[in-house]
Amino acid sequence: MSKHSALNRFGRSANPAFTRGFENYSETLPVSERMTLDGAVNKTGILLALCFSGAAIGWNIPALMFPAMIVGLILALVTIFRSKEKAGSTAPLYALSQGIFLGGVTLVYENMFDGIAIQAIGLTFGILASLLVCYKSGLIKPTENFKLMVAAGVGGIFVLYMVSFVMSFFGSGISLLSPTNGSLMSIGLSLGIVCVASCCLVLDFDFIEEGAEQGLPKYMEWYGAFSLMVTLIWLYLEILRLLSKIRSR
Amino acid sequence: MINTIFFSLLAIFSLFVFMNLGKIKASKKQTDRDNRINRFGSRRGPGNQRKTNSTIVEGEAEVINDKDEK
Repeated sequence: MSKHSALNRFGRSANPAFTRGFENYSETLPVSERMTLDGAVNKTGILLALCFSGAAIGWNIPALMFPAMIVGLILALVTIFRSKEKAGSTAPLYALSQGIFLGGVTLVYENMFDGIAIQAIGLTFGILASLLVCYKSGLIKPTENFKLMVAAGVGGIFVLYMVSFVMSFFGSGISLLSPTNGSLMSIGLSLGIVCVASCCLVLDFDFIEEGAEQGLPKYMEWYGAFSLMVTLIWLYLEILRLLSKIRSR
Repeated sequence: MINTIFFSLLAIFSLFVFMNLGKIKASKKQTDRDNRINRFGSRRGPGNQRKTNSTIVEGEAEVINDKDEK
């Protein structure tokens, strides 16, 4: 008798619930319920519009900045760790709340350095478009090693932020992260962080491209757009910080 | 003033590029390569070899006895 008698009798299950991750989804879902590139890009457009609307609110009512940041953080954690399926409702709320936060932050920077906001917005979208061209043309090829390298970079930056956050409770902090520190070392660090955030954009493009290729469920369009928004917001904040450091010199 | 106009145009043009180019499938050079990140586990098997879509193994069934294994 075969060792795999159950397999011989019933065959392999095609139910996606019994396979690892999203394996075989493209074979079981109807075409209309599959993730597409069009859908993901349109949803990113919606999230960007919501983010800009939120920024207008945050710009006019800066007091909402910190509550909006906390709400955005909670929504991001819920979307990532609890319910990818509900990304369609959490991602727009995330974009709106983070927009309010960004509006407030931008106002603070704009009061310090006139015209810095439009420079940061232009550079953020400039990086987005140029990296998309590089990705689509095959100039940048995300591989497993590339992913590991970016993950290591993000991990390192996260630890740095956390240390700085904890130190801030004791009235201290890492001076290299200060937006008014115009030293070459500080600018170099910010430049490195911008590079890592840009590499994350490439991984997001690849995720959306592969998701559409594999025919993931429709809600993954929202999740792909959400992950792109998270990276874009991070990139924008880092560019703001980098520009303010350069202006402080 | 020129600074503001330049960066505003850059932002608008980049958004336009993103909204249009984003909907186009990536080039073959990008999609048809063996070292792509395998996120969903369905495209490639171990050693980056492409899997066939079918999970049915064609060929004659063979009975494996305990004696044969020894």
